[in-house]
Amino acid sequence: MWQWFFRLGSPKWFYEMSGKWLPWLLVLMTVLMSVGILWALLFVPQDYQQGDTIRIMYVHVPVASISLACFPLMAVAGVITLVWKMKLADMVAKCAAPIGAWFTAVALATGAIWGQPIWGTWWAWDARLTSMLIQFFLLIGVIALRSAIESPDAAAKACALLAIVGAINVPIIKYSVEWWNTLHQPSSDFSMDENSAFGPEIWVPLVIMIFAVYIFFVISLILSTRNEILQRERRSQWVVDIVAKEQV
Amino acid sequence: MKPHRRKKLTIIAFIATGLGVAIGLSLYALSNAIDLFFTPSQIAAGEVNNGQRIRIGGMVKEGSVAKSQDSLHVEFITTDYSHDLLVRYDGILPDLFREGQGVVAEGMVANGVFEASRVLAKHDENYMSVEVKAALDAAERDRNLTEMATEGGPSGS
Repeated sequence: MWQWFFRLGSPKWFYEMSGKWLPWLLVLMTVLMSVGILWALLFVPQDYQQGDTIRIMYVHVPVASISLACFPLMAVAGVITLVWKMKLADMVAKCAAPIGAWFTAVALATGAIWGQPIWGTWWAWDARLTSMLIQFFLLIGVIALRSAIESPDAAAKACALLAIVGAINVPIIKYSVEWWNTLHQPSSDFSMDENSAFGPEIWVPLVIMIFAVYIFFVISLILSTRNEILQRERRSQWVVDIVAKEQV
Repeated sequence: MKPHRRKKLTIIAFIATGLGVAIGLSLYALSNAIDLFFTPSQIAAGEVNNGQRIRIGGMVKEGSVAKSQDSLHVEFITTDYSHDLLVRYDGILPDLFREGQGVVAEGMVANGVFEASRVLAKHDENYMSVEVKAALDAAERDRNLTEMATEGGPSGS
């Protein structure tokens, strides 16, 4: 029963499979991203209050929501690292941290750029913004912790633990706008009715952008993990073979 | 699953649950401090001392905004639909400040009036195009008219 699970954990298997997936993912992302961005920038109607500022949402919301996926991913990888000592899980966790930190930073930046004209301030110490900033610092912490510990095994264990602890922040970010009163608005409800708030003309391009950015995240993670695999497995025969082939 | 792995998994689950409960309880205890603003009802209930620097939040009551002709002075009423609070402010209002919209103001309560030093607009979770907004407003107007007609109909004049 566990066989597929351990095969999934083999760096060689992942390297070969991800090599096959990458072109498809790239094509899918390019299509979705171009459609989403063009739609959001050119065809989404102006908001009745925000005007063109609403277009910031089409970057902010996908990037912010996908940045929330980073810690759960690292926590699951961390549990696998601690319990099953699977090498691939730790490689994925290591590569996810900087990508997640960038996503969180972009979410914070686009949020501030939106907040200035709409709220009248770049920043407020409300629960949503602050918990998001904490996620950013936690990710920086994970990266710093990894580079501070010399032994790779010890670093893997320490980072796995920090990732599991840090994942507790994710539901806090998600529900902060409901549990406390904040300046940040709560999530909108999708409406199928064209003549209502947050109707299809607003959310369809948003959903496209969410998928596009999700695939972008996955591609970044795969590319980065492949690098890490080559780096860590450089002494194994199959990597030596690949390098020899590439050098011809 | 091998016993030593099961043991490790149990320890991790135990740590995660324990931490989660601890953090959950502390956030619950701190929830007053985490809230960004007080509501007019909380002010009315006397939860805030005079002269304490706080933020308040609520809706700008329809028809309550009074702007001075020769200065930036503005007065308006914030409401949470159960209590009202008068706000005085000298300064530039954000573009999205308007009646019926949410607002967060920073300042202090003095003699039952809120002296604001800063006013921020709060955006709600509704996004819609100009056309949809116009259509919704028209539908609202029609509904009000029909209600008035049916209420006033039988009694006549």
